[in-house]
Amino acid sequence: MLINALNGLVYGSLLFVLASGLVLIYGLRRVVNFSHGALYMLGAYAGYSVAVSFSFPLGVVAAGLALGAIGVLLDVVLFRQLSTRHPLVTVIATFGVLLVIEDLVRSVWGTQNYAIDPPALLSGVVEIGGAPFPVYRLFIVGASAAMAAALAAWLRYSRSGLFVRAASQDPSVAAMCGVRTALIGPMVVGLGAAFAGLSGILAAPFLSLNPAMGSEVLVLSFVVSVIGGLGSFSGAFISAMLLGQVQAFGTVHTPELASLLPFLLMSVVLIFRPQGIAGQKV
Amino acid sequence: MAMISTARPPVAGLSQRFSVLIVLVALAALLFGVERFGSRILVSLLAQAIIVSALAFGVGLLIRVSGLVSFGHAAPFGLGAYGTVYALSGAAPLPPEIGLPLVVMFVTLVFFLIGLVISRLEGVAFSMLTLALGQAAFVAATKFRSLTGGGDGVIIDMPRQLYGVHADVLQSPYGMFVVGVALLTLVYFALSIAECTQLGRLAVAIRENEERVRFLGYRTRVLKAGVFAVSASLAALGGVLFALYQGFVSPEILHWSFSGSALIMAILGGTSALWGPVAGAFAFFFLKDGLADVTTHWLAVLGITLILVTIAWPSGISGAVQFLLARVPALFAKGKGR
Repeated sequence: MLINALNGLVYGSLLFVLASGLVLIYGLRRVVNFSHGALYMLGAYAGYSVAVSFSFPLGVVAAGLALGAIGVLLDVVLFRQLSTRHPLVTVIATFGVLLVIEDLVRSVWGTQNYAIDPPALLSGVVEIGGAPFPVYRLFIVGASAAMAAALAAWLRYSRSGLFVRAASQDPSVAAMCGVRTALIGPMVVGLGAAFAGLSGILAAPFLSLNPAMGSEVLVLSFVVSVIGGLGSFSGAFISAMLLGQVQAFGTVHTPELASLLPFLLMSVVLIFRPQGIAGQKV
Repeated sequence: MAMISTARPPVAGLSQRFSVLIVLVALAALLFGVERFGSRILVSLLAQAIIVSALAFGVGLLIRVSGLVSFGHAAPFGLGAYGTVYALSGAAPLPPEIGLPLVVMFVTLVFFLIGLVISRLEGVAFSMLTLALGQAAFVAATKFRSLTGGGDGVIIDMPRQLYGVHADVLQSPYGMFVVGVALLTLVYFALSIAECTQLGRLAVAIRENEERVRFLGYRTRVLKAGVFAVSASLAALGGVLFALYQGFVSPEILHWSFSGSALIMAILGGTSALWGPVAGAFAFFFLKDGLADVTTHWLAVLGITLILVTIAWPSGISGAVQFLLARVPALFAKGKGR
């Protein structure tokens, strides 16, 4: 029971880190990044390669930096060019990015599964309530919480965070007030992509690496952000935690239906609250 | 709020009647030419393209009329295909000749009901929801093995004859191509008439400003769901044809990458003309086939093509054709006016 809840917490916090990247990008650009799952996958593979030849912490750093750079590129090349057009046009373009990244991963790493061991420091097992629990999973929860807290603190208390919030609310008014919105875009999208990559490499020792991992997680992170309400961090947090628990208890009690439960949950929420848990009515 | 291109108010008249005639003659010539000169590979490519073009047609119709982008139209396609499996199996209470149209109607009804719920969402949220629902259908198909045979799929036991046509004809590429062209031509004419009706215009009005239409006293949600259902019924038609042609159905056709391919076809073809997505489907299959010969990275090339099309030429193939059609007559008008 307790172990189940913990597993749900682990899964939920991974989903939250992933979804917060999505929320960050959506907040500024009003674009749902369909390549987010592919970025997550690319982060996992890139981090894996560095971790195998050097060390795991270096892999994490490399995944974050590499994906951040890709995010900056994505914003400059794609999002900014399409910012005057209907958001759905950009969504379709990010779908094109997804195809390119999937092809890249397949041709560089092939289609076989990879597994990666957690670093020695985190590879043990602790007793929780009389049952063994891998330390690494606790580390995932801790790391996710730290990342989320850092993001929230940055957005709330720093000057650049204030600019991001201003530009998300109204880019043109923010620009009139002297915010350099041209810099905000690459920064936010880069950060969002870095979050996707970091959650990929964090998940790597916990799940296995395969070319389908991106699309699976993309669908789940969409479920999280739709349930939570598009563009809301707190909503995404609640729904990620909820979904983690649903997933954990679902696989134990109704293994047949487990993979359908997120969609059921989403349908129920949307029927009663189409704007999501924390979304504002448009 | 028109996303990529808009349905223009149709102009009915003499030229329109002529164009119907031209289209029919051109199609007859096409079928004759394919039968006479088409190589086996070409014809089988055409048969695949015509089947999937029904799906792309549905996706494109939704973009054109409602301005909504679906990432989950593989679901009605797959439902149509699995429905065909059931209608042709011995378990079905009705003969397949009645069962197959009922399958399409059933899928239409199901997606009308789904449409009533999800048309509460707009724009991007709608797209995300269709993706999730499509993936739910995929998961369901792989889980419920007794109905679908799980990941292995099911083989259809084809009856010897369907609608008086030998089953071998339906499973031959040329036969399926003819059937597909005939059905899609009918659908095309029916839809171009439907766009001129009051309901058709109302649907476009909802896309432009739903709130105002509601203020006028219309129940916009029902009409939106109706458009969604019609576009799903096109996908279901594709699914039925697919099942008949392949004689085999597996959950792969429910995977969201298939929905994504259909969307790429619709975007490539453009939605400024009703026939755009169909042209896009053919372009997609020829592009994919041509690229597969040249490079193993056809997926990446496809992705880059999609990005370039959305950035540089968002109206797609049909937009290009319309652009040329609007310019070419001017070249022949010797000094008159412009």
